[in-house]
Amino acid sequence: MKKVSWGIFIAALVITLLLISLEQYYVAVSLVVGTVIMRHRELWSLVVRRRLPPVDERVRGNTNKAVRNGFVFLAGLTAFLMLPLGRIFTTDLDTQFVLAGMFLATGLVYLLSYVYYDRAAPKMSRWRLERLRWFLTLGGVSIGVFIIAVFLHNVISGLSGFEEPVFFIVAVILAPLALAVSIIGSLVLFIMGLAARPS
Amino acid sequence: MSSMKTKIKEHRARRRLTQEKLADIVGVRRETIIYLEQGKYNPSLRLAHGVARALGTTIDRLFVFDDRDGVPPD
Repeated sequence: MKKVSWGIFIAALVITLLLISLEQYYVAVSLVVGTVIMRHRELWSLVVRRRLPPVDERVRGNTNKAVRNGFVFLAGLTAFLMLPLGRIFTTDLDTQFVLAGMFLATGLVYLLSYVYYDRAAPKMSRWRLERLRWFLTLGGVSIGVFIIAVFLHNVISGLSGFEEPVFFIVAVILAPLALAVSIIGSLVLFIMGLAARPS
Repeated sequence: MSSMKTKIKEHRARRRLTQEKLADIVGVRRETIIYLEQGKYNPSLRLAHGVARALGTTIDRLFVFDDRDGVPPD
């Protein structure tokens, strides 16, 4: 496993240098920042102790869960962008930008998931974990409600001939508001969990 | 869900082992030992066995489950 870690470090270094030579500075910085956030313990151990820490079952389990979350997110995002509603967001964009955005967002989901499982969740109390689950559920529900409300608004407006107001308000005001509350609440709890000392 | 308490800290202190030393012996990270001591990580049977052996005790003496809503004690 140490050979694999060394391989990943060397590959990341080569890719970073390649990106810098191609003047892709933002991508290079993202890669370096992501690597430091994810693997600062390994880097620190390499510098101080001259060896990599073991990749034990907890680290493997957290990595697997983060990969699963990233994959589920990418599958969901792909499905959404294939819907007529999702295509609105991509019609004026080049394919390469859409793909880059999708993969960057997936990478971010992977990164946040890993940091959450590895650093934040073990330090959070049961109460905070339940609140976080509640906020994340609210976010998922608000996205689902948004899609359903847009669909129903269009169907009812099309059939009746007048602008349907209830689902319009739900889609334009209530669902985004719930999503904003969900994102802010989740982030606050996540950061508090990261900053907390192990109890 | 039944909650878990461990006596790793007591056994480790008795053997005068630091978290880092125990982690080295078992072949895991120090954070894993920290979370095990706090009962915030459920180890695999293999890891539990490794920790118990490193501390010269048995799994059932090291990990104590609160079975109020879990498997009833025999």
